[in-house]
Amino acid sequence: MDLDTDVPMEDVEDLKHNASESHSATGDATPSNNNTTNAHKKQDLNPTSVSQLDEWIDKLSKCEPLSEADVKRLCDMAIDVLQFEENVQPVQVPVTICGDVHGQFHDLIELFKIGGPCPDTNYLFMGDYVDRGYYSVETVSYLVCLKVRYPNRITILRGNHESRQITQVYGFYDECLRKYGSATVWKLFTDLFDYFPITALVDNKVFCLHGGLSPMIETIDQVRELNRIQEVPHEGPMCDLLWSDPDDRGGWGISPRGAGFTFGQDISEQFNHTNDLSLIARAHQLVMEGFSWSHQESVVTIFSAPNYCYRCGNQAAIMEVDEQHNRQFLQYDPSVRPGEPTVTRKTPDYFL
Amino acid sequence: MDNYNDDLYPLALLMDELKHDDVSNRVEAMQKLDNIAIALGPERTLKELLPFLNDVAQDDEEEVFAVLASKLGDFIPLIGGHEHCEPLIQILTILASMEEPIVRDKAIDSLNKIAEDLTKEEINGIFLTLIRSLSQGNWFSKKIASCGLYKAVIVRVNAPTRKDLLNLYLKLVTDDYPMVRRAAATNLPRIINLLTEFTEKNPSDSNKINNEDWEIISKMFQHLINDDQDSVKFLSIDVLIAILEFFQKIHETSFNSDFLTSALKLIKDESWRVRYTAADRFTKIAANFTSEESDLFQLIEPFIALMKDNEGEVRKAIAKQLPSFCQLLTKYPSSRTIVLTKIIPVVNELSQDAQDNVRASLASTITGLSPILERQATIDKLLPIFLVMLKDEFPDVRLNIISNLSVVDETIGINLLSTNLLPAITELAQDYKWRVRLAIIEYIPKLANQLGESFFNDELLSLCMSWLWDPVFAIRDAAVNNLKELTVIFGSNWANTEIINRLLNNDDKIDDDDKIDYSNFIIRITCLFAITKLIPVIDYPIIIKKVLPFINSLITDGVPNIRFNVAKSYLLLVQTFVANKNKLPVKDDELRKLVNLEILSNLEKLQNDEDVDVRFYSSKSIQGINELMA
Repeated sequence: MDLDTDVPMEDVEDLKHNASESHSATGDATPSNNNTTNAHKKQDLNPTSVSQLDEWIDKLSKCEPLSEADVKRLCDMAIDVLQFEENVQPVQVPVTICGDVHGQFHDLIELFKIGGPCPDTNYLFMGDYVDRGYYSVETVSYLVCLKVRYPNRITILRGNHESRQITQVYGFYDECLRKYGSATVWKLFTDLFDYFPITALVDNKVFCLHGGLSPMIETIDQVRELNRIQEVPHEGPMCDLLWSDPDDRGGWGISPRGAGFTFGQDISEQFNHTNDLSLIARAHQLVMEGFSWSHQESVVTIFSAPNYCYRCGNQAAIMEVDEQHNRQFLQYDPSVRPGEPTVTRKTPDYFL
Repeated sequence: MDNYNDDLYPLALLMDELKHDDVSNRVEAMQKLDNIAIALGPERTLKELLPFLNDVAQDDEEEVFAVLASKLGDFIPLIGGHEHCEPLIQILTILASMEEPIVRDKAIDSLNKIAEDLTKEEINGIFLTLIRSLSQGNWFSKKIASCGLYKAVIVRVNAPTRKDLLNLYLKLVTDDYPMVRRAAATNLPRIINLLTEFTEKNPSDSNKINNEDWEIISKMFQHLINDDQDSVKFLSIDVLIAILEFFQKIHETSFNSDFLTSALKLIKDESWRVRYTAADRFTKIAANFTSEESDLFQLIEPFIALMKDNEGEVRKAIAKQLPSFCQLLTKYPSSRTIVLTKIIPVVNELSQDAQDNVRASLASTITGLSPILERQATIDKLLPIFLVMLKDEFPDVRLNIISNLSVVDETIGINLLSTNLLPAITELAQDYKWRVRLAIIEYIPKLANQLGESFFNDELLSLCMSWLWDPVFAIRDAAVNNLKELTVIFGSNWANTEIINRLLNNDDKIDDDDKIDYSNFIIRITCLFAITKLIPVIDYPIIIKKVLPFINSLITDGVPNIRFNVAKSYLLLVQTFVANKNKLPVKDDELRKLVNLEILSNLEKLQNDEDVDVRFYSSKSIQGINELMA
């Protein structure tokens, strides 16, 4: 399968068939829309939670996964934070915007070396923390820990891989099973994913989301009206925001991925004009230089997994936006992991 | 009856879990095997658990077997001691005979572990029978398993038995199956080493190793170096090293010329895998021929041939051996000319090898040649090669040279090195790979120490300041640390005029164009980091006059990240004051007044900040300061 089209059409067809059964299985995790409770102001973290979180962050930064019980506690704390965030989460400048990470934990650590550690640097991640790489559990645990510990310093959006169905196909489910011996941790995280905000708005000017635009969304206010706390649907505006891609052809097109749409320059320009935006920043597609402009700089794609799947040979990038809205792209290569063999040419037993 | 059921519970539970459909559940159940044995106690483990496991070992999947095999290695105490080992060994024998290498290796390891607990009688009885039957097994996996077990017994049997065993092993070395020959060759060096240790420790034992034993081993070696499979043949190099080490230990050199012939044959083998292994162990081989000048010198030409080998992997491996092999040669002064005229020119060729990883490998070892070549030859021959490699297009080459330069300092002195390398260093300071820049930064304090203040200010200071504005955080962070280290070297006043004044735009000499533009968040926070880092290493008046006003000016910064770092800086300030209490030019009450007025009052403002992190760090600093001042 092509690496840059996450899900070929037949897969999604498959998933659609299963939709009804899997939905009933996950239905209990979908609470009522609680955007209404937003008025409630969050209190500062208590000292015990702070030291607990610092301990977890320390452990995870060495790529050691948390215990199942700790994941449960972390997810409970994270729901408490994330349920009060908005569908269009406001973000202040300066901020560093990042794309797909896909379980490449060591490259995430490299990203923090390039951009600076959290909380000194503010971060906005645009989804796809899990699947494909070998360390989805550590990656998503680490980012969620940072989110709970420093809610104002880091924003984590939902990607199309933060979903029950996709993670069963692309690795996160299997990794949880392998590392914990049961699907409990997978269930905890996928239930948590439902609470992730789906878009962010940086200083009212840069609209950030995982995939792209939707024919059913003309204004940002329409995004605010969605009920996001649910499994990523197979169609409709929320699905499109997480699945769509920009395209050279104008207007709306059918996406080769089987979910979301492709949108042309006319669509992006109209959307930016209507909403008084300077830029749409999104992730979702492998780009060899780590970032790539489209639609005459009205859309930028950012991809933060270097040498994607450990074999694509691409660079990764992050985008720093400063107080004056100047943008700087930082590109980087895969992390160096000492002790890994450079070349191995062993003949297996059965060749003899 | 109830009681009986209770007792049976752990075993029943295990049996139940081992019937689970999912392999991962069965693996997990097997992981708890030792707990179950403890719960059952030795007697019932022996009578009930082991028979059950004997059945399991014949009817499950490899993952489960692997866990079972490794768990059983620690079972001797759990079955009440070595005298009950027989059923345990039976189960492990089944597992060791399997075709799956993971299971087999774990079972062999466990059998070896168990053998350590056995008495001589048990070794000669049950264990020897096991080895004999496996060695003559009807299937290759049994023979492979037996190869791994000889080391458990070879020095614990009497001389005649040992001879029998070695003859049996010789059959394995000449087996029809290459897999068996491979296993035999892999395990042979360990067996020889055990015999060597035994001879060393018991020189007058009646069962000590005799010539007949060595004749058999020598036969094995001859078979191995003539094996038609290169995957067997390359293993003979470790066998050769083991044999050579034995003769070294007993100071017997009469066979050296024979072994040298074998060594040369292997080094020149037509299979690259054999040559690669020879290259990889070259110094280990050569170390055994140092007693005769002519023997050692016969290895020089083959060494050079390996440096010119067609296979990149071989050249990469031999490049790693360069300094250690040349070090061996220094035993004979006449080798010096040979190194200079024959080896160095090939090193030069290798430094321009077509393959990146070969050059990178050379770069990591070539600096080790400078103590061997000594001062003048290093300057004449090696420095030019370093300069070329510092400009190599492959970043690892540049990085490896820079990271290993300190050994060259010791030979030719940093002054000469730095004047020669300064242009290259300046260039690498702007390398597009940040890890190369980082390696240069980490090397700077060492240079500064030797160059002296004025030369450093002229040549390297502006470079050091420019790293503060690098796009990569890790470089900015290293630059900040570097400035602190430089301050330790050049002193507080130097830091004031050369660093602090520049960072605060206080220097009249600076053109307006060169002034630092504080409108950017990253520049402000980097200045804050740099100045904060200097606090512990600069004098009190500078802190009061320059640092504190600068930090105070940032408490109303628009970016919360700056404000909470200000809160952290305040704590470090007070920590430094308290640590240097006796050296400060102010009295205790003056200091208290300063802390209250200038620091705590500002922190209290920050404690009511709108941002949660600013509130958190200012409260933390206030708490820390109150504890320090109490």
